[in-house]
Amino acid sequence: MTTNQTHTIAPVLPVPATAARLTALVGALATLGSTFLAWTWTAEFPGDLTVTGYPGGLQVLTLTGALLTALFALAGHGVRGLGWLVPGGKNSPVRLLALGTFTTTWYAVLAITVELGGLVNLEPGGWIAAVASLVTLVGALGLPADVPAENPGPASGWQRFTHAFKAPAPGKAAPLPSWAEILIIAAAFGIGLFIFTYGIDTEYAELFIGFLLLIGFGAPAVARAGLNRRLGALTATHKNVTVTAAFVAAFAFPFTQSNDAYATIGANILIFATVALGLNVVVGLAGLLDLGYVAFLGVGAYTAALFSGSPSSTIGIQLPFWAAVLAGAAASLIFGVVIGAPTLRLHGDYLAIVTLGFGEIFRIAMQNMDGASGPDITNGPNGIPNIPDLELFGFNFGEPHNVLGVELGRFSNYYLLMLFFTIIVVTVFRRSDQSRIGRAWVAIREDETAARAMGINAFRLKLLAFALGATLAGMAGTVQAHVTFTVTPAQYKFVEAVPPNSAFLLAAVILGGMGTVSGPLIGAALLYLIPAKLQFMSDYQLLLFGIALILLMRFRPEGLIADRRKQLEFHETGQLDAPKGDIGLSKAGV
Amino acid sequence: MTTDTVTPAGTGTPVLHASGVTMRFGGLTAVRNVELTVNSGEIVGLIGPNGAGKTTFFNCLTGLYIPTEGTVSYKGKVLPHRSHLVTQAGIARTFQNIRLFANMTVLENVLVGRHTRTKEGLWSALLRGPGFKKAERESEARAMELLEFTGLAAKRDHLARNLPYGEQRKLEIARALASEPGLLLLDEPTAGMNPQETRATEELVFAIRDQGIAVLVIEHDMRFIFNLCDRVACLVQGEKLVEGTAEVVQGDERVVAAYLGTPFEDAPGAEEVAEVEAAEAHATDRAPGPDSTTGATGTTSTTGPEGDPK
Amino acid sequence: MNDLPQQLANGLLLGALYGLIAIGYTMVYGIVQLINFAHGEIFMIGGFGALTAYLWLPAGTSLLFALPLMILMAMACSVLVAMGAERFAYRPLRGAPRLAPLITAIGLSIALQQAIWAFYPDATKSRPFPEFEGGRIDLGAFAIGRGDLFLVIAAPLCMIALGFFVSKTRTGRAMQATSQDPDTAKLMGINTDRIIVTAFAIGAAFAAIAAIAHGVKYGEVNFKMGFIAGLKAFTAAVLGGIGNIYGAMIGGLVLGLAEALATAYIENIPGMSQLGGGAWKDVWAFVLLILVLLLRPQGLLGQRVADRA
Repeated sequence: MTTNQTHTIAPVLPVPATAARLTALVGALATLGSTFLAWTWTAEFPGDLTVTGYPGGLQVLTLTGALLTALFALAGHGVRGLGWLVPGGKNSPVRLLALGTFTTTWYAVLAITVELGGLVNLEPGGWIAAVASLVTLVGALGLPADVPAENPGPASGWQRFTHAFKAPAPGKAAPLPSWAEILIIAAAFGIGLFIFTYGIDTEYAELFIGFLLLIGFGAPAVARAGLNRRLGALTATHKNVTVTAAFVAAFAFPFTQSNDAYATIGANILIFATVALGLNVVVGLAGLLDLGYVAFLGVGAYTAALFSGSPSSTIGIQLPFWAAVLAGAAASLIFGVVIGAPTLRLHGDYLAIVTLGFGEIFRIAMQNMDGASGPDITNGPNGIPNIPDLELFGFNFGEPHNVLGVELGRFSNYYLLMLFFTIIVVTVFRRSDQSRIGRAWVAIREDETAARAMGINAFRLKLLAFALGATLAGMAGTVQAHVTFTVTPAQYKFVEAVPPNSAFLLAAVILGGMGTVSGPLIGAALLYLIPAKLQFMSDYQLLLFGIALILLMRFRPEGLIADRRKQLEFHETGQLDAPKGDIGLSKAGV
Repeated sequence: MTTDTVTPAGTGTPVLHASGVTMRFGGLTAVRNVELTVNSGEIVGLIGPNGAGKTTFFNCLTGLYIPTEGTVSYKGKVLPHRSHLVTQAGIARTFQNIRLFANMTVLENVLVGRHTRTKEGLWSALLRGPGFKKAERESEARAMELLEFTGLAAKRDHLARNLPYGEQRKLEIARALASEPGLLLLDEPTAGMNPQETRATEELVFAIRDQGIAVLVIEHDMRFIFNLCDRVACLVQGEKLVEGTAEVVQGDERVVAAYLGTPFEDAPGAEEVAEVEAAEAHATDRAPGPDSTTGATGTTSTTGPEGDPK
Repeated sequence: MNDLPQQLANGLLLGALYGLIAIGYTMVYGIVQLINFAHGEIFMIGGFGALTAYLWLPAGTSLLFALPLMILMAMACSVLVAMGAERFAYRPLRGAPRLAPLITAIGLSIALQQAIWAFYPDATKSRPFPEFEGGRIDLGAFAIGRGDLFLVIAAPLCMIALGFFVSKTRTGRAMQATSQDPDTAKLMGINTDRIIVTAFAIGAAFAAIAAIAHGVKYGEVNFKMGFIAGLKAFTAAVLGGIGNIYGAMIGGLVLGLAEALATAYIENIPGMSQLGGGAWKDVWAFVLLILVLLLRPQGLLGQRVADRA
């Protein structure tokens, strides 16, 4: 299906390539320089952008964007020593980065103008930044396209614009010594950890929005440059190193946090992500839509709370933590089977609605069991408060500990405990995925009739997936109960502004990418951070969330990180051939 | 009516025996009192005009439908009405409209076919003991053998959906063979193929037979059927009209009439075909039709299904 | 236990309300095999539409005079939203894997609910809905509220109209054909797009009627009322056999009765004294759903269960 003729397509702006590159480069350097000037006169605007010679707050983001733009522009020009940056597209990364820098900078300038009330509040530095980033963008748009056009004939402006962001896949990399490859993987995870930590530590909404804008353009730029594929190939050859690096990066997070408040966010994201990963077994692998998943988390949490020795628990028994974890998981398992057994024989849509119902019923039942309108078990709407902190092997999770000269607060401790469970869930996910059972799940998802004709007992396997998902959530719930001190019915709604809840869990899986490991982790991080950091729009959060779900399904149903299988399923491209002899990449994500 | 079962001379023991299989959807009888035996080492063809109930009969054999009456036994044991248990017992099938796991790789598709012949459960997958690794290796080796056999080995990591049509058919056969069947049911394996591809499929079916697997094949291509089959049965309007060697069937005037359009009693018109299809579409693999026990054979062949299937 | 007739009446009234909403689920499901989660919200929007119409009229207008305008306005709001949802959210996803429209439906449900919460004046809490003046009407063995009269009249009328539409009109018959076999229907020259829009519109109109009935019955509307009502209505549709429009109403009535009886009598069962009363009624409705799925998955009237094989 390859056409022999290649059609060139004009750049968005008709400028000679050299001139365009020079413009982009000069613009990027000027932008870079402008971040060392004062952008405004008063420190009232958060981040103090008044200091000359020392960039702060949003200026740092502009600085990073401009620096990357300049680097990629040079690399695209073929400057020696930078070629490794652009194995794929040469000019589309520059365009994306220029666009990212431009939006971030203009957002900053506009935020200053609006918040402080007028253009007078802009110092010359701000003007220079705005103009320079615009110049960079103009230059970048003048760069030629990376791939030839598929169709001959004149293209409209919009076609040229979208085409300008396409990039070819990188070729095969020259082999490096394996120590170098391992170093690259380690560095990549290091950078990932840094970016994640930076996002969590943003202190005000403006900085977080700027961060999101820059990441939003920067991540695709890196992908267009082909660096993702290169890294993917490396991680596929060094699987164990990758897993270790990921673990070390995750483990290192609390040590980067001086403030326990941010460790709280980390711990909560981890709980959210772990539960989302459990849901991914159900939704992503077996294709079962579970809309009441948070109830299984609740079952685990309530079980742990009842057996925690909390003075408010109606059961006077205190179980050791490991026993509580098992009890919570077992209770969830039982509920999973009770809900799943009647429904999974039927059409998949019934499961969706029955789980939705179960989620509500669980909450209502917990609310009612207060001794007045039901048996006295859960204290009703007040929940079970004062859940004592865990103490394992003499390590009290409630107290700060000094490890390697870093003080780890309560939430850092729980973050590390949760990390242990995350690893369990990731292992369960990966191992079941790449096995006879996982293949049977995917087969059922693809075509249930054919799967049964291949000897798969579809009902049993679906029940297995559903029950496994429930068990994992129940297990996570037992930790959650201790992290949050209190379990109340209100924590387990279908949808509310604070994750995890059923709708957000599902959204995390879908936004990140169904059937992948990294997808739900990224999805959960975004869905937790965005509402947490952008408090000012809390009234419209859920509205925007709903609209975002609709748009996501319409325009990128496979999520941010596409499982290769899923991507093909959603977009009937049909032409994409699997890479030959490279199984590592053709499976679920890195 | 005419249910003259021809007992083949000299070939092996019966693998499949369907006796009195009747399938009704609401008021419509799609398959009526069909007897059929397939012996080991045999290739048996099933022909008949569109809407004659061939695929419905296949679905009855493989447990996708629960026949209203009659039983199907495999090697002397009556088969349960569960599709996966039928496969477990040793009958594998392909589908008329290819049903691969489109977004799995070629190798994964065949590995799914191995499902009944392996038994590593969830615990084994999670703990990854030596037994698990050995079983995975063996499964993969066996799957690769089958891919070599069908000539797909080079495409093991392609997604099934990206294969050309002819190779998708082959992959479906490889996937079915992976379940180590004693009997393979092929539903129109050469539909939409060019003569060379048809020829290759013929070779493949012979090769499968030579491995000791009995084959029952539905096909429209008469040349293909008469080249291939030891015995042919002709199904018209849900009833078995005639069964015998290629010569016998070819020479039977009723078969000629059914195919050439001379009305045999009342040849199934387009509407009837549509009705059968609609009824099948609504049938579920679980809910059996109303188990009316009225005699199946004697009734007229123009079943006017007034009953709305809804 | 002399209040049995009263409980039965309560149950039937509640059930008729569920049944009216359930029609929308069942029609859309019958034709596109989609659970339109947002249907509960379309019901809720009908309620707010009716309230808006009432507030336009001079204060003190008799509810009886206001009712026609309220019905029109409620229907207009519900139908417009439903058709918009079909056109812009669901239609582009036809042929996509079935998860996609379900998730869109969830997103739509959340967005509609939140839009009312955020933009309708004072909708962050329940808004009072006009009620008929006067006390309950005593009918001997039982009494019904004045507001229930609307339901008693509207529900049978709606069902008769729907039955007539489906069996007598061209569009109605085309709709039946499409729900049985969409592909063949298309081949027969039926404009499936139009049929689907019609199904959404009729479902929405019925939900709007139900919303007014709900409003005059309880004297309030709120942005959350669609969620549980939608869930119950779906249960009703499943009870009756999803895809079957008469089944939906019958399922609604059965569900309503079960709920009323459970609320009233379950606490009399030894050992379950604490599980009765209004607080547990949703739980019992859900248990009924599970039991039906376990014992008679095709529903009371339905035949279709699993996918097309």
